[in-house]
Amino acid sequence: MNPLIRECKILVRSPADTVQSVLFVVIVVMLFPLAISPDPTILAGIAAGLMWVVALLASLLAAERGIQADFADGALEQMVLGKTPLWLLCSIKAFAHWLSCGVPLLLITPLLGTMLALDGLEIFWMLASFALGLPILSLFCTLGAMLTVGLDRGSALLPLLIAPFLIPTLILGTQWVQSGGQSFYGYMLAALLSLSVVSLPLATGVAARIAVSR
Amino acid sequence: MLQVNALSCHRQGEWLFKELAFSVSGGELLEIRGDNGAGKTTLFKILAGLFDDYEGEVTWEIQDPPLYVGHRFGLNAQLSPVENLSFLVSLNQNAPARKDLEVALGRFNLADVLDQPCRSLSEGQRKRVALARLELTDSQIWLLDEAFSALDTKGRQVLTELCQRQVAQGGVVIFSSHQPVSDFDSARVLALGKSV
Repeated sequence: MNPLIRECKILVRSPADTVQSVLFVVIVVMLFPLAISPDPTILAGIAAGLMWVVALLASLLAAERGIQADFADGALEQMVLGKTPLWLLCSIKAFAHWLSCGVPLLLITPLLGTMLALDGLEIFWMLASFALGLPILSLFCTLGAMLTVGLDRGSALLPLLIAPFLIPTLILGTQWVQSGGQSFYGYMLAALLSLSVVSLPLATGVAARIAVSR
Repeated sequence: MLQVNALSCHRQGEWLFKELAFSVSGGELLEIRGDNGAGKTTLFKILAGLFDDYEGEVTWEIQDPPLYVGHRFGLNAQLSPVENLSFLVSLNQNAPARKDLEVALGRFNLADVLDQPCRSLSEGQRKRVALARLELTDSQIWLLDEAFSALDTKGRQVLTELCQRQVAQGGVVIFSSHQPVSDFDSARVLALGKSV
C-alpha cells in the first residue's frame, strides 16, 4: 500500500484528531471578542496576528500525533530500514499533518475572519497567507516531533525547540495580511516555503534514524 | 553473506558483548541464545542497521536490506492486517496483490480477521500478521528477534516451515530465543551473556 494512502486511511479512521484541531481554533477565536472587546475596529486590528498565533499553537498541538504512533508500534523502524527513500516518507508525514491541521484551518478561515470582523479582501489575504504558511508550520512540526519522539518529556521539549523556527512564518504571514497584501511579504513567504519543502524532509529523515537508534 | 569482526557494545557502562566474531553464509540458520538482558535485541538492531553505537565491523554482502521483525511489529492500530501487511511489504518491493496477502495471512490462520482493525487483535495474532511478511518478501536475510515466543503450536510450525524453505533457497535466517528451539536440527547456536 502506498504510504500516502496509508496516512489518509489513518486520518479518516481517527476523525477525532482533526475535529480537535478545528475545535481548538474555533474556541480560542470565539473567546477573544468576549474577553477583549466586541468592538469591530479593535478586533479587525488584531485579527491577523491572533489567527496566526492560534494556527501556530494548533500545529504544535497536532505535531506528535502521527509520529508518536509510528514510533510506538515500530512502523518507524520499518520505514528507516526499507528501500523507500526516507525523505519521501517524511514529506508524506508532513503532508498528513497539513491534511489534518492545515486544510481544516484553511476551510474555516472565512468563518473565523467574519467572527473577527475582517472584510472580504482581508479574508482573502488571510487565506493566501495560510495557504503559503501552514505547510511551513507542518514541515517544521514534523521535524520537531521526529527529534523529540521517544524522549522523556519530549512533548514538553517540542514547542521550546520548534517555536523559534516558526516565528519568521508568523511574522511574514501577519504582516502580509496587515499590509493589505504587499507583495514583498508574499514573496518571502513563498521563498521560505520552497526552502522548507526541499530541506526539512531530509532533516526529518536524519532525525528518524536517530529516533529509532535510541 | 554476513561477516562480523570484533564486535563490542556497551550500554550504561557495562559490556553487553565483547569481541564477538562470527560469519554467516547463504543457506545457514543461526540461533542467538541468551538470557534476558544479554544483548540479543541490541545485536539484532546492530545487524539490521538500526543501531550504530558499537565498536567493530559488521559487513553485509547483500543488495536488499535484511528483513527485521522485532518486538514491535510495525502494525498501525487503525489499519487492518491486510493494509498493514501491504504497507510493510511495499516499503521494500512492489505492492503485493490482495490475493497474495490473503494467502499469506491465511497461512498464519488469520483468515477471519483480514479486515478488522489491528487494535482488536490479540498479541499473538498481531505477531502472526508481522510474520506473514516472511511469505511475501524477496529479502535474503531474515532477522527474527524472539519470533517463536507468544506463538501457538500451529504458528510455530508454519514459521519453522518458512524458515526451512528460506534456508533451502540459499537465504539466511538469524533468530533468537530464550529456550532452545528444538524445531531445527541444523541450527548453529551463538550464545550471548555470562551464563555461557
